[in-house]
Amino acid sequence: MNFLSNSLLLAQVSADDVAREVARLQRNYEFLSYGLTAAWVILVVYVLMMVARERTLKREIANLKAMLEEKR
Amino acid sequence: MRNNILYGLGAAVILLLVRDINLIAGFPQEASQGAIFKIIFFHVPMAITAMLCSSVALIASVMFLITRNFKYDAVAVAVTEVGLAFLLGNLVTGSIWARIIWGVWWAWDVRLTSALVCWLLYAGYLMLRRAIEEPTQRAVFAACFSIFAFIDVPIVYLSIRLFRTQHPGPVFFTSNGSFPPDWTAAIFGPLGTLMALMMLATVLTVIRLSQEDSQRELDSLRRMAHAM
Repeated sequence: MNFLSNSLLLAQVSADDVAREVARLQRNYEFLSYGLTAAWVILVVYVLMMVARERTLKREIANLKAMLEEKR
Repeated sequence: MRNNILYGLGAAVILLLVRDINLIAGFPQEASQGAIFKIIFFHVPMAITAMLCSSVALIASVMFLITRNFKYDAVAVAVTEVGLAFLLGNLVTGSIWARIIWGVWWAWDVRLTSALVCWLLYAGYLMLRRAIEEPTQRAVFAACFSIFAFIDVPIVYLSIRLFRTQHPGPVFFTSNGSFPPDWTAAIFGPLGTLMALMMLATVLTVIRLSQEDSQRELDSLRRMAHAM
């Protein structure tokens, strides 16, 4: 019974339907990869911003300490 | 010592995420949505992490107003900034999912709009901090604003329960949910994506906190330089 209903269903599917389904799946994977990439890019950019801020802070502290030492 | 713990946590996060991505890639596609459905394994944990960050910011802000201890102010700004990054990730992944499922990048329904307002409010919190020079005044104003901004967080959480939204209803831990247990474990399990992202948020917050210490040191050095 199951085999018969599956066969009947397959008989109704045209080549266009198969091509459309393949395109839909392809598009799904494409957008999934965009989503995951976007999520990680946001976090990586944030980490890079933190690294840049850390460097700036360290440089400014070192400069100010050197300047204060000179004045003393 | 603290750096070693941070490096260890960072390495654990990377290992956990690699494990989780591998696990999720092996799951079958959802019947009606296809592969794009798998975005939920990061979209939801990002939202929960951001929500936890805003809750910690609320507690830290209230504690600052009670004690006037600047450590609480530093915690509030650190978790707010980290939470903002996670909320942005949540909004962007949701938008990409919506493009496939709804056919549009964005819909002005209650869940999406309240989440966007939440992001804008916390971005406003960071802008407010930049606008005020005097540290005590900055911390007091920022704490009050953080408490005000938190009002939106329960609205975001409850929006899909109280209103009819385009956004899907709750599927986890509900009687009408149909999420398989192994999929739920991939998010909420002890080695799931939520744990990995919360550990990542902790690492980032601790680093951001140390930067706040450096900023305070820089401010005091500047004051000394001006006084000389």
